[in-house]
Amino acid sequence: MSPIFLTQAINVVYGVSTLAVLVLGLAVIFGLLGVLNIAHGEFVMVGAYCAWVVTADGLPFLLAVPLALVICGLLGWVVERILIRPLYRRPFDTLVATWGLSLLLRKTAEAIFGRGFRDVAIPLPGTWHFFGVEYPTYRLVLIGFCIVVLAALFLWYGNSRTGMRIRAMVGNSDLAQAQGIGVKRLATGTFVVGTVLAGLGGVMVAPLVPVQPFMGLDYVLRAFFVLVVGGLGSVLGVLAGAGAIGGLDSIVSAAINGTYGYFTVLVVAILFLWLRPRGIFAHN
Amino acid sequence: MTEGKFTLTRRTLLGAAAGGAALSFAPGLIRHAAAASKEFRIGVFVPLSGPASLFGPGNRAAAELGADEANKKGGILGRQIKLYVADAGGPPADTAKSAVRMMLEDDIDLAIGSHDSATMEALVSTFKGKIPYVYTPVYQGDECAFNVYCLGETPAQQVGPGLKWLTEKKHAKTYYLIGDDYVWPRKTNEAAKKFIAEDGGKVIGEEYVPFGAPNKFEQSVTRIKGAKPDVVLITLVGADNVNFNRTFAGFGLDKSMTRFSLLLEAHTLEGIGAEASKDLYSCMDYFAEINTPDNEAFKKAYFAKFGAKAPLLSDIGVDTYAGINFAKALVDKVGSTNGHKCMKASEGLRFMTASGPAVMHGRQVTKTMYLADCNGGKFHIVDTFKNVKAGTVCKV
Repeated sequence: MSPIFLTQAINVVYGVSTLAVLVLGLAVIFGLLGVLNIAHGEFVMVGAYCAWVVTADGLPFLLAVPLALVICGLLGWVVERILIRPLYRRPFDTLVATWGLSLLLRKTAEAIFGRGFRDVAIPLPGTWHFFGVEYPTYRLVLIGFCIVVLAALFLWYGNSRTGMRIRAMVGNSDLAQAQGIGVKRLATGTFVVGTVLAGLGGVMVAPLVPVQPFMGLDYVLRAFFVLVVGGLGSVLGVLAGAGAIGGLDSIVSAAINGTYGYFTVLVVAILFLWLRPRGIFAHN
Repeated sequence: MTEGKFTLTRRTLLGAAAGGAALSFAPGLIRHAAAASKEFRIGVFVPLSGPASLFGPGNRAAAELGADEANKKGGILGRQIKLYVADAGGPPADTAKSAVRMMLEDDIDLAIGSHDSATMEALVSTFKGKIPYVYTPVYQGDECAFNVYCLGETPAQQVGPGLKWLTEKKHAKTYYLIGDDYVWPRKTNEAAKKFIAEDGGKVIGEEYVPFGAPNKFEQSVTRIKGAKPDVVLITLVGADNVNFNRTFAGFGLDKSMTRFSLLLEAHTLEGIGAEASKDLYSCMDYFAEINTPDNEAFKKAYFAKFGAKAPLLSDIGVDTYAGINFAKALVDKVGSTNGHKCMKASEGLRFMTASGPAVMHGRQVTKTMYLADCNGGKFHIVDTFKNVKAGTVCKV
């Protein structure tokens, strides 16, 4: 295998794993609560600005992680209590409400930080050499981190008591409540987990991309494509969706060019909406 | 009698209606008539929304500074300049609507625009040459519509001197072209390929990414790594340009390849950052770092007016300052905004830009170009090229 081919192969793994984590927050909120959070990308943006604030003050990059957890968590909590809770089971209304929220967050970021591009220095600069391949160290670490996050969430959701309660709530909310499960608190918690995951994704990509108020738009579209392909309600679906969308995009981009990569993603998303609207794992 | 009365009634009715209509138009008429002798109205079209809104505040500030200075010298045709600013950052059709409104309601005498080419085309067909339209930013050349004047850098002015320098100083032979997929990058690369062939160089790769899509650049950078060009010629814009250059340096390619980016101004370099700007070059007609007495004077006036919160000084920003100065020079020379006369008078017209004087030929500008090394996230001027021609010559 030539080093260039191997590098492109790692690019595919990198594309899929980072995409899966960036989608996770949206998948949790949409899949478990049925809330279509259009402002998902803006929570990613908030996370990225956390990374900028921390590094611009000369503090270590890793401090951005707790900062993003706190800020995105608080934001998520307030948003769920004020905006989302009155609108559960009204999908179109939540869509419009979260769209408004995305505008508000974008404009707030613009008011605080300005419209300019912010530069977050890469915390682990340099490249790593192996098998004749030279790959950026930070991106390699990121791949590992993404796999850990995905595995942790997968295990937690499947095995923990909270995971079981959430599954009960998703299965039949009224019955769960009758069993003494605090459905409202659980829903708030689930929403907060979603926004925190988005913020974490933002911290993760901040050193790689231009940090700016509009950056969220780049993530929300791909995230929805992943959910269209993967279907709702399972970590496995997110992985499959990210694998299909991120993988196809990366492979076609590597083999031909970015235009065809993006084109393929659009075609696949349309085909799924048309022929398999419930995603890869749908039966019936 | 009855009939007469009826006629009378109808007449009264018609008369009243006409009078009412006249009355409702009257304030407009009076305002226009009074205004014609009072102020010289300029429509300024700059991006205030959307991704390009990064440039809007600077564009606006530079236009205001230009108008202030011109007004101190008696305005245009002895009338004080008044600016009407419109957003040109949305869809071209929306900007065209603002332009129609400005022509009908605000009765503008002249328009200045710093926005993308699609919006320019929409505005050209809206104004139809009825008022002079001064298009100020870097663009792809070849715009020759009636009563339109282009002040920005053309591909010939950027790639001509830039590639010559790279061939001589960096001994560049092989080139890889990457750009966003729309008219400016494609036209610029067309010009670049001509210059590269003339200099004995070779293009070994060319690719475009969809404009406005959420692009990633790992694959392109890996492909470029495999192709091993001496120089990567970049016609990506805005966030794509930042993203590409950060990825490029992240993969360590900055150690072995030179990059020449054609829309690299202060905002973009701020995003690329110090770490990712090694062996990266830009060729434009303005950088804040240009060391000329004219630029020093401009910067002094700019910061005196806007203070510490002044928008970042950028090539796309200060272009509207040149636009106002050009408008004053042109209309003062002609004595009116008549299209035929203005076009004739524009030939050989000298006017001031932020970095120094420039001359118009064939409704394009012959100008001084600067090549900057971007090492450490700062522009360092490494070469100056005087009297560079635009390549496009329009009928006057």
